[in-house]
Amino acid sequence: MEPRRSVSVALIFLCLLAGCSAKRDLIVLLPDPDGKVGAIRVTTKGGSQILDKSGYAVGVEDFNKPPIAPRSIAEDEITGIFGAALSAQPDLKGRFISFLLFFESDTSELTHESKGLLPEILRTIQNRKPNEIYVVGHTDRVGTELYNTKLSSRRAYYVRDLLVSSGIKSSDLDVSFHGEAMPRVYTEDEVAEPLNRRVEVIVR
Amino acid sequence: MFAKIGSEIWENDTLRTGPDGSIGVVFNDDTLLSLGPGSVLVIDEFVFAPNQGKFSIVIRMLKGTAAYLSGLISKLAPESAHFETPSASIGIRGTKFVVKVEG
Repeated sequence: MEPRRSVSVALIFLCLLAGCSAKRDLIVLLPDPDGKVGAIRVTTKGGSQILDKSGYAVGVEDFNKPPIAPRSIAEDEITGIFGAALSAQPDLKGRFISFLLFFESDTSELTHESKGLLPEILRTIQNRKPNEIYVVGHTDRVGTELYNTKLSSRRAYYVRDLLVSSGIKSSDLDVSFHGEAMPRVYTEDEVAEPLNRRVEVIVR
Repeated sequence: MFAKIGSEIWENDTLRTGPDGSIGVVFNDDTLLSLGPGSVLVIDEFVFAPNQGKFSIVIRMLKGTAAYLSGLISKLAPESAHFETPSASIGIRGTKFVVKVEG
């Protein structure tokens, strides 16, 4: 009987380490179809964790405790648990296409590289003939929130006017802006971040 | 009611899959949601009305496995996109993720 007892002790110990509990959530961040990785925030009554790396997972064992800190999870484990759900994902054909245009600091002036992207945006619009095109303006966190809201508006309308002057119907364009509230890259306040100074053009 | 290809889904609908089942859903804002076997999920809210500036997607998962690829709501009004489990709430900032809930 001696060996068996030591096995059960080991099992209890493993349960303590891994947290054996009746209910458990597992949330894994994956790359978008275009390879970009976004971010999600998992919140319980006990706290929250941000997931912003592909293939990283957060576990929740108890809603009174914060989620377990993100850890990397093997691809075959993801396939083992989520394979059926992932292969049931509907076809992407016809889903919107999105472009990012970047701006020089504190201006509504496009960077040189972003100017070069305009022909491709126009070509995409001509090919898809959408009647919904979204133009969404953003800034980084240098300056006040109010100032940045106005700056993001100027950027969005600048891009809208560019598209209209290239022959796109203004009734097909929907303009919105978020100031510094929706960064692509998290930063502290007053930090300059070129990747956050942008207008996103979304073509359906 | 049994879902078939082309079935429409509305706010407050519950989706269930059988032990060998799976389902894929395309929302009006191009959010893609799919469920693996033995799953239960409720569409608590879905509003996509850009002309009125109204956006909301609230999904509550009770059990099983799901894959979620965010759509336009997460780009236009990310604070309006929520995925809930019995223990946690997931705030979505434009991305793809998978969730397992043991129910």
